[in-house]
Parts: sequence; structure tokens; C-alpha cells
Amino acid sequence: MIKFENFSFTYPDAPAPALKNINLEIQKGAFLGIIGPSGAGKSTLTYAINGAIPHYYQGVCQGQVMVDGIDVFDSTPETISLKVGSVFGDVESFFVASVVEEEILFGLENFNIPRSEIEGRITSALDAVGISELRYRSISSLSGGQKQKVAISAAIALRPQILLLDEPTSELDPQSSRQIFSLLRTLNKSNGMTIVVVEQKIMLLCEYVDRLTVINDGEIYSTGSVRDVLSTPSKLEKIGVNCPRVTTLSSKLAAAGLTNEPVALNLNEAESMVRRIIRDYIR
Amino acid sequence: MKGFLQYIPGNSILHQLSPITKLALSVLLCACAFLSSSILYISFLLLLVLGLSAMSGIGRSALQIFSLLLKLSLILFLAQIFFIREGDVLVRLPLNLFITDEGLAFAILIALRLMLSALPLALIITVTPMSDLAGAMVQKLRIPYKYAFALTTAIRFIPIFSTEISEIIEAQRARGVNFDTKNIFKKIRLILPLCLPLLVSSIKKTEYIALSAEMRGFALRNRKSGYKSYAFKGRDLIALLAGVFIIAASLLINLP
Amino acid sequence: MIIFDNVSFSYGKTQIIEKISFRVAPGEFVAIVGPNGAGKTTVSKLARGLLRPTSGTVTIDALNTRTTKASKIARTTGFLFQNPDRQICQNTVRDEIAFNLKIQGKSDDETTSRVEELISLFGFDPNASPFRLSRGERQRLALASALSAKPKILILDEPTTGLDYRECMKIMNLIKSENLAGTTVFMICHDMEIVSDFAERILVIADGRLIADGNPDTIFFNKEICAKAALLPPQIAELSQRLGGAYQGIRHVDNLFGAIRKNFKGEATL
Repeated sequence: MIKFENFSFTYPDAPAPALKNINLEIQKGAFLGIIGPSGAGKSTLTYAINGAIPHYYQGVCQGQVMVDGIDVFDSTPETISLKVGSVFGDVESFFVASVVEEEILFGLENFNIPRSEIEGRITSALDAVGISELRYRSISSLSGGQKQKVAISAAIALRPQILLLDEPTSELDPQSSRQIFSLLRTLNKSNGMTIVVVEQKIMLLCEYVDRLTVINDGEIYSTGSVRDVLSTPSKLEKIGVNCPRVTTLSSKLAAAGLTNEPVALNLNEAESMVRRIIRDYIR
Repeated sequence: MKGFLQYIPGNSILHQLSPITKLALSVLLCACAFLSSSILYISFLLLLVLGLSAMSGIGRSALQIFSLLLKLSLILFLAQIFFIREGDVLVRLPLNLFITDEGLAFAILIALRLMLSALPLALIITVTPMSDLAGAMVQKLRIPYKYAFALTTAIRFIPIFSTEISEIIEAQRARGVNFDTKNIFKKIRLILPLCLPLLVSSIKKTEYIALSAEMRGFALRNRKSGYKSYAFKGRDLIALLAGVFIIAASLLINLP
Repeated sequence: MIIFDNVSFSYGKTQIIEKISFRVAPGEFVAIVGPNGAGKTTVSKLARGLLRPTSGTVTIDALNTRTTKASKIARTTGFLFQNPDRQICQNTVRDEIAFNLKIQGKSDDETTSRVEELISLFGFDPNASPFRLSRGERQRLALASALSAKPKILILDEPTTGLDYRECMKIMNLIKSENLAGTTVFMICHDMEIVSDFAERILVIADGRLIADGNPDTIFFNKEICAKAALLPPQIAELSQRLGGAYQGIRHVDNLFGAIRKNFKGEATL
């Protein structure tokens, strides 16, 4: 679905490239999390997927980015925006309208979606996100979590195959953050949407996404299933990425020879791991 | 200042009028403010606007804008009152300053004119979603969407910036800046450095909003893209007739 | 040091804080937790005197916030917002740190020596432009200027939001070392792992009310309170609780690991 081939990018006047020789393939229907220390190039990577690079941010590029069989550099930003829906971190500056309905209408009008189809698109975009009751509300009266949902709903009204989000939960409390991620999971599992999300909260990533890519210093540090990537917590901590505490605990237990199971990613896994260790000992 | 110059959803007659009608009515009222030289008539129109706002559920924001305009008018009032020297002297002040009856009347008139010309325009913002205003301007007035969008976005940024400014001021108060000083020059010296964070955040915001619009096909937009139509209805006609009546009256009535 | 006595606060007709009372003693490290919109930020602003209570009294460092100018409280209290960008208004890192001292009318000598001290403590380039620093660096700069007047009290509104793990630890370790040196810390935080690692006491706020006040153990191991305030207890606390028995009540990875290891005979070979 998305394919980076030897991709490098340097912003104008920047001393070093923001991304160096990236090779990454994201399959159709994937739910991928991207994590890494700040300044590692995570946002730049998202700009290369949604066409902001090279169409909005100019700079020195090498290599190729393909989205759904199209070379991002040879196409127009409009072609890509029908394939990739984007939601940025600073959600306040995402909005172009003052009322929820108008926000969703914006993209639909721009793309000249047939009149007969528009009402259906609006209702289904609101429904999919579970905010039908907010349709006529003024955006400034909404909570942070609701605003984030409006942005997602405006992005998916264009029916993109890929949804791209840059730190959607950075301003949200743990409960609203989980709501956003379970919404993303539903979009991924029931609607088959490919989802790429940059996120700092490792516990959310462990609970919801299928695959993880760690970026460090403009390069891909590791990529794979969440469990494989987190198998060595101490190495990740060196580059500034933390693991859930239970993952650290399970890796310590393995290092101490108490278990040979793969690392635990969440509480339930850690609980059963420790219980097995205790049971084996008693036996 | 919360909710200042911000759209307030509702179903009142003001909300339902076509954006163009609202724009036309504001322009008509603005014209009245300058055509009429009757203090009574302009005051009546101001009260009418405030009354209509209260009936439409936007009374609070109308009063907010009104009180801001009142402060601005006061400056204008003070600037005028000492310059008119014709008429009978009412009050004598030191420094060879005096207030005449004509001066007082003229200063009041100027202040009222400012309020009446600005209030309706500002109120449109609270009863019209900006995207409707842009849409109607594109469809009916044939203004290119790019310009309509720029204008409405600028208006939409007013409350966002006013929140930003109050938050910057709060952050500076938290580090010990004392804005309570009465000395206007000292106050300006304190406020000036705050332009830097405001500038930084507004550049960031506009950059993001441009990117966000572009990512959603902004460049493809043309005049036919509008989903909603802003047809004139019976109530628009009545409202416009009322507007014409008001402007005719302003020419006929010559009350003091 | 910080005393809330039956404090309520409303904005217009909306009641945001309802009858909150607590005392923070000198040198304590207190975390305020609770869902978005519960009123935590309002509590921090009330404590700092940026807002004045509708009813009740707030006292900070023996000053009643109702009758004291906010600028006077700045002499003893540092405040750090979630977003450093609203604070930063000078062209160099040095000027930015010096700004607080200048507006408090400190002498040039005193200002220069304190600024140099902080620059070397934080490892800043004094001539760099604050606006070109990364988000995490700007947050550290804001902290440095909040610390410039050697405050007795430090109030922090989500100081780690938007930072990566390494930046987060840098900020928290700096705050902790200030606390160990005697500064009272009053911090709003969403991340329960951080709260559990650093705070000695937790105030739980939900719907504008103080629903619990206690040490991390009593809060995290109380299911009812956690549910009421939508708190996600730290993983190790939750795990140790689930395992029960000898493991119950452990909050830190190393302690739980040690406890599990100790229970095995094979320890000699470990």
C-alpha cells in the first residue's frame, strides 16, 4: 500500500537530512504505530506519505515513495488526498470551519462529490466515529477528545484507504486517548482502513496496533510486530523510547532465566507469565 | 472574552436569513448611521439591533461587542468634544478648554454612528457560520473562493487569537509581570515583548491551516463546488424591505 | 505552605471547583490527578493566585491570594505551563532566564550569577534563540526561568505533555532534585507511571471536587477511587495487586522483579 524506497529528505537550510535512506513497506489493512524520540523524523515521514512533501514542504529528496501504486512525487496533492486522510497533532489548527457539519462538508465540496451522495457521506462519517449528536455543534464548544474525533471524521468523509495521524492523543487524558485508539481499531478491523499513527504513548501502541516502526535520528531503527520490536527494552531505552513496565519486567525475568517466553506486552500477558513461573516452580 | 465574535448555533430568524441578506442589512444600517444626523433615531436603531439580538439568543455576545464599541466610542467622543467651539458654552475647563452644546451633540452623534456602523457587521459573525458566509459570497456575489476563504478564516481567527493573547498574558503574569500599572507607556513596554510569542504561534497556526486545507482539496474548489444553496426566501425579502424602510426613514426623520 | 480552605470557583454560572480543602506542607511533592475537564488546571491557577476563589480562601506561602498581587507571589513561587511557547518572549536563552529576575528588580550582579548557574546546570547554549530549540528544550528553558528566583514552591501544569520519554525524564529529574533540595512541588500530571515514580502524595479531583487525598499506594490500590476518576493505575501496581499474596502492594519494576526472584530456589545460579 505504502512503499518507501531508499528515501531521503533534507529541509531547506537544514544541516542534516531529516530522513536518511528509508526503506519501509506498509501493507494494505495494516495498523502501524510509529514511535521514536522527538526530532527523529516521525512527522517528516508522515508528510512524505500524504504528499505534503514535496508539494508543500520543498527540500532535497532522493528515492521514491509509492502510495497505492502512485508515485507521490509525480502526482498532485489532490490525487493523494483522496487516498490518504490526514489528521495533525495540533487539532485546533486543523479546522477550517466553526461548525462540525461544515468541517466535514469542506473536503466533500472541494472534491465535487455529487450532491446526492453528500448527505450519506456526512452521516456515515459522523456515525463511524460515533459523534452523530455533535453534527450541529460549534467546534469551539467541544472537548479535546471530541475535537480529535471531528478531525478524524472530516478526514474519513473523503473515504480514503489510508488514515494518517500525527500524535492524536498528545493533549488527551488516558481515558479519551483510549477512546481514540479503540475508534482507530474499529476503523481498521471493520472497515479495513490502513492506519498509520505516530504516537508517544507506548502503552496505547502495545494495546492497539499490530505493527511498530521505531525511528531514530532519521533512520528506521527497527520495524516488525510489536512484540518483536519490544523484545529488547534496554536497547530501546538507550535511544529514548520507553517500554511498558510489564514488558521491562518480563524481559528481566527472561534474562534471569525464569522464563523463556517472549516478552509480555500488557497486564494480562504479564500476569499469566508470572503465574506460570510460580506454577512451574511449585511443580 | 470567552466566545467573543464566535458563531453561536441557533434557529432564530437572524440565523435563518440568507448570509447575503444579513450582509446587506448591515451595510444598510451602516449607511443609516451616516445618512441620519438624528441622535434619537440612531439610538433607536441601536436599541432595535440589541433587541433583535436578545430575541435571537445572542444578547450576551451583542452586549459584549456593544461594550467594547462603547469604549472605543468614548475615545472618539472625548477627541471630538473639545474641538467644536461653536454654540453655547456648557462647561468651562482649565487650559482654555470648554464644552459647547453643539460640541456635545456632535460628539454623541459621532460615537453613536461608530457603534451603529460596526455593531451589525460584528453581529453577523455570531449568527452565521463562516463557511456559509464564504459559500454565499462565492455563489451570489461571484467572489472567488480563495478570497472568501481568506476573509472568513481571518474572522474565525479573531476569537482564537483573543484566547491566545489572554493565555500569553496569563503565562507572563505567572512569571511575575505586573500588568496592573496605570502608566500607559509602562503598560505598552510590558505588552510589546508579548508580540513575539503571538507572532510565532500565529505563523505556526496559519501554516498548519493552509496545509490542512490543501490536504483536503482546497485547490480544486470552484464556484460550482458549493453543496448548500443560499436561495432568497420570503423572509429575506421582508427583511430587505424593512431595511429599505429604515433607510428611507433616516432620510425623512430629522429629529434632534 | 499551600492551603485551600473550603475553596469554590465558578466561571459565570458554571461551577468549576466545589468546596475543596487541603494543605500542602513545605518540601512535599504532591501530584494532582483526574480526567480532562475535572478542574485540575483551575486548582493550579487558584494556588498560584492567577485566579481568585469565588468563595473560600487560598493561602500560598502565608499570602492570601485574594489580597496579594500575582506579581508578588512570583517572588516565592515558580509556575510552569504545559505549553512553554506562551511564556518565551526573549531573543536569547540567557535573556529568557534573566527575564523573571529582571522584572522582580534583582540587581544585575545577582541576575548574572544566577543565570550563569542555571545555564551550566541545564547545559544550555546561552546565545541560542529560544524559538529554534526543540519542544523538549523549550520546556526545559521554561523550567529554568521558573527556577531562576529560587522559588520555595514550584507549581507545574502537565510539565511532560508532548515530550518524548527521554525529555520527560530530564524534566522530571530536574524537578525531583529541586524537591530534594527543599522546594515544594505541586504538579498536575496525566501519566500515572510518572506520578507513581515521583510524587509522595496524590490529590484526586473529579467533577470539581476533591475525592481522595493520600499516598500513591492508598490511591492506586483503591479500585473505587480509580474508577471514579478514570485513573489507570501504573502497570506494576495493578499487576502486583492481581498477583496478590507476597507481591501485593509493590509499585516498582525492580521491587516486583526482586520479590519474584527471591521466591525461587534457583537464585544461586541467577
